[in-house]
Amino acid sequence: MGLPGLEYALPIVTDPFVIGLIVAGTFAGVLVGALPGLSSSMAVALLLPFSLYLDPIPAIALLSALYCAGTFGGSITAILINAPGAPPAAATAFDGYPLAVKGEAGRALGIAAVSSACGGIFSVLVLLFAAPWLARIAYTFGPPEYFALAVFGLSMLSSISGAEPTKNLIGGCFGLLIATVGVDLTTGIERLTFGIPELYDGIHFIPVLIGLFAVTELLTQAQTLGLEKVAVTIKALKLPTLDDFKRVKGTILRSSGIGTFIGILPAEGSTMAAMIGYNEAKRWSDAPEEFGKGSIEGIAGPEAANNAATGGSMVPTLALGIPGSATAAVILGGLQVQGLRPGPYLFDEQPGLLYGIFFAMLLANALFLVFGLLGAKLFSRISLVPTTLLWPTVFALCFVGAYGLEQSLVDVWVMLVAGLIGFGLKRYGFSPAPIIMGLVLGGLVETSLAQSMIIFDQQWTGFLARPISLIFFALALVSMLNAPVRGFIRNRSQRSGGAA
Amino acid sequence: MRHQDSLIGVCLVAFCGFVFWLTMGFDEVPPMLSQNVPPTFFPRLVLSIIALLSLALVVQGLKKEVDAKETIEPAVFVTAAIIAVAGLLLSFAGTLLTLSLVAIVLPIAWGERRAHLIGALAVCLPAGVYLIFSLALGIRFPAGRLFEGLL
Repeated sequence: MGLPGLEYALPIVTDPFVIGLIVAGTFAGVLVGALPGLSSSMAVALLLPFSLYLDPIPAIALLSALYCAGTFGGSITAILINAPGAPPAAATAFDGYPLAVKGEAGRALGIAAVSSACGGIFSVLVLLFAAPWLARIAYTFGPPEYFALAVFGLSMLSSISGAEPTKNLIGGCFGLLIATVGVDLTTGIERLTFGIPELYDGIHFIPVLIGLFAVTELLTQAQTLGLEKVAVTIKALKLPTLDDFKRVKGTILRSSGIGTFIGILPAEGSTMAAMIGYNEAKRWSDAPEEFGKGSIEGIAGPEAANNAATGGSMVPTLALGIPGSATAAVILGGLQVQGLRPGPYLFDEQPGLLYGIFFAMLLANALFLVFGLLGAKLFSRISLVPTTLLWPTVFALCFVGAYGLEQSLVDVWVMLVAGLIGFGLKRYGFSPAPIIMGLVLGGLVETSLAQSMIIFDQQWTGFLARPISLIFFALALVSMLNAPVRGFIRNRSQRSGGAA
Repeated sequence: MRHQDSLIGVCLVAFCGFVFWLTMGFDEVPPMLSQNVPPTFFPRLVLSIIALLSLALVVQGLKKEVDAKETIEPAVFVTAAIIAVAGLLLSFAGTLLTLSLVAIVLPIAWGERRAHLIGALAVCLPAGVYLIFSLALGIRFPAGRLFEGLL
């Protein structure tokens, strides 16, 4: 018996146009990842409006390839200029840069590329089998279960970006509130439109996410103009030896598992996976004292984990319609604007989609290994492109992306306002990712809640009779209480330690 | 002086109160649709949760020590002003001229002094946008009232 849907996927994934898109997406992803300040989330957000000109499978394949390659690309600048191109590569700089300073930049980049590719390929294999399996379970879900699942997904926001759980939850709810703008579909009543006709259909999430990711970053870059970037010179690309790979193979395997698991958890993304991957690499290492001074395990751990999180995060995104990370939320939005319905029925309606994404991510992981190793010198030079020239170009792309969607200047204004608000929020500890998650999930949360309330005859207690909903609500409670309880225990042990 | 989180929390509670007040101005639901969940239900539920979380933020802020906040560089205000003016200019000067002006003004505001690079960007950026997005993808950008009047 063949794999279901494979016959639909083969003509697509063997199409030279699709392969060309994946190659271009991978190259662009590594390039964007290598430029400090430009993250894969931002790149996917900027590309999303233009992907609408493509059919769904090539479009999502392109975005997926960009996601994988962008996550790896961040490691190049982390290693060469000690400035992570993207947040998931922050942990890579801890050991990558010291190793580069010792004159072993090629070795560091080689370890990063191979670990990233291994982590990414491992997670894509998990995606291929886990997504349909999870989708089969989700077939039994009704509106109450979906509402509870979305609440669980949003509750996980409390643990992203670590230190500010309350602000992350507020951000997620703020995203839900923005999603309520427009005409209410069940009653036809206008909500928070202020009489602006362009807002009757709601605030489209694409201008908001371009504003929150890209315009906010433009203003952040203006704040850090004086910082000088100095790249470590790559004299000769000295690649890692076989002994190096033998030493890190356990770390790669462990981090691949950690990264995939963390990626599957709703809302958790590559950044957290990389941090845990780094900590676990250090904990299991025979030479933990080398960490921070140029340990190759300190590069392999976070790199395998952050790329493994890419495939992992696509599992709940495709199977349940709940994004596994901020970038996956953007891709989920891409599925929605393509007219697809993410969730268990997606595989029936688009039988080739899973394989299209699987193939794109697999090819991207193999390609960035080549680009990362052979193009390291080029990318290291590109990473030094003056910000004074780069960011006006990014602004032009922001404008075109926001305008091109509906060819409306209102969308451009929404983008600019979102960017200004995003900068203010970022300055006070609010991350843009939760807002995007809330905005993308807003429709699902409100619709499933409204349907549930009709099913339960407007009685909240109806949820108590749904075991799966109760499990998700319990998990949501655990995830929200996790950080405060741990903080309380830590404070108490510190106080008792101080008293002793 | 308390931690700024307390102030943010208070502002958010006030914001929630304001939006809650706005929801009171929503139109009445026609009787034939009254069995549905009212349109105010979900926004008010979300606002209530934000308000509760904001109160938690106020309490957390009271327990934190005041941290010295990095001052906002003048370049941020200048950049914000440039992009806001660019947004206003779009309908008047059109897309290509506006992008060209941004490509000149933004680098200068950020300290770029190499005229040949600025000039090249001012020409290549709008040209690239026109070729890729207008000619190839068929996006019709606003020409601007300035040029409509001239034509």
